[in-house]
Amino acid sequence: MRAIPAAVLLLASLASHAETPQQIRQIYVAEAASQQAGFTPSAKRGDAFFRQRFAINDKMPACTSCHTDSPLNASQHAVTGKAVKPLAVAANPDRLSDPAKVEKWFGRNCKEVVGRACTPAEKADFVAYLSEVR
Amino acid sequence: MKKILVWDWPVRLGHWLMVGGFILAWLTSESETWRLVHAFSGSVVITVALFRLPWGFIGSRYARFVDFVRGPGSVVDYLRSLIRLDPDHHTGHNPAGGWAIVLLLALGIATGLVGWAMYNELGGEWLEELHEGLAATMLTVVFVHVAGVISGSLLHGENLVQAMITGHKRGSPEEAIPSARPLAAIFLLVWVAAASWWLAN
Repeated sequence: MRAIPAAVLLLASLASHAETPQQIRQIYVAEAASQQAGFTPSAKRGDAFFRQRFAINDKMPACTSCHTDSPLNASQHAVTGKAVKPLAVAANPDRLSDPAKVEKWFGRNCKEVVGRACTPAEKADFVAYLSEVR
Repeated sequence: MKKILVWDWPVRLGHWLMVGGFILAWLTSESETWRLVHAFSGSVVITVALFRLPWGFIGSRYARFVDFVRGPGSVVDYLRSLIRLDPDHHTGHNPAGGWAIVLLLALGIATGLVGWAMYNELGGEWLEELHEGLAATMLTVVFVHVAGVISGSLLHGENLVQAMITGHKRGSPEEAIPSARPLAAIFLLVWVAAASWWLAN
C-alpha cells in the first residue's frame, strides 16, 4: 500500500504541468490516512514542527536554523550563507508546485535535521502550514 | 622487459586527487551539513581536469592526448583482444582507457561547472537535474573504467593500480620517460588548492 502514494508522486512529477499546494497536501493526507484512520492535517501542528528544536545537528538544530522564525522570510543557509527563498507559498508562489521536489527536500532535510524520515502525517501538517501561513 | 617510468607525477597526483574529490563529492551530495565540503571536493575534480587538458599537450610522452586518443577501430581491436583473454599490451594507456580518460575529464568539468552555476544561482531548476544526470553518467564511466583496470590488470599480470601510484610499468628502457616532472606536480597542487578555494566560495 505504501507504494501507491510514491507512484502517485512519481506520476505527478512526470506530468508537465505544475501541481498546486492543495494537490500535494492531498497526496500526503491520503498516505497519512491509510496509516491512521480519520487523519486531518493541521497547519498548527505544522507550525509547531517548524519551530521544534530537534538538536540532532549542531549546525542546524531546527528548520528555523536556515529558514528563520517565519517561513515568509527570505534567509541564508546556516552553513554556506547562500540565499534561501521563502518557504511559504504566500511569499514564494513557486513553493509546493513540484511533488518530486517537495519529497526530495523532505527526504534530505528530515534525515539531517529531524534525524529520521518524516511521517506522512508530519509532511501533510507541514505542507498545510506552508500553504496557509500569511 | 623491465620496470620503467611511464606516468609522470602530475598524471598520478591528478588521478588520485580526482578520485578523492569524486568520492567525497558523492558522499556529501545529499547533505546540507557537508555542503561546503561538497562544493570544495567538486571543485577539486574540475580544477584537476582543467589542469589535465594543457598537460595532455605539454606533459610527458604518455600523458599526451596524441599518445592515447585512438579511433574507434583501435578501441574495438583492444576490446576484442580483452575478450580473447589476451589483451594487447600498451606501455601507456590502452585505447579503451584513453576514452575513459577523455570522458571522465569532460564529465568532471561539465558536472562541476553546472554544480558551480547552481551554487551561485545562475540558472533554474533544470541545472539541478542536469548536475545529477551528469554525475550519475560520470559514476557509470568510473565503474566501467575500474572494471577495465581490474580485468586488464589480471589479464596482463600487471597491477595497473600500483602503476598509477609508483608510475612504473613494464616496458623496454628506451620507452621510459626521462623525468617524473615533480615541479609541475607542485604547480598542480597549488593550482588545485587556490582555484578550488576560489570556486567553492
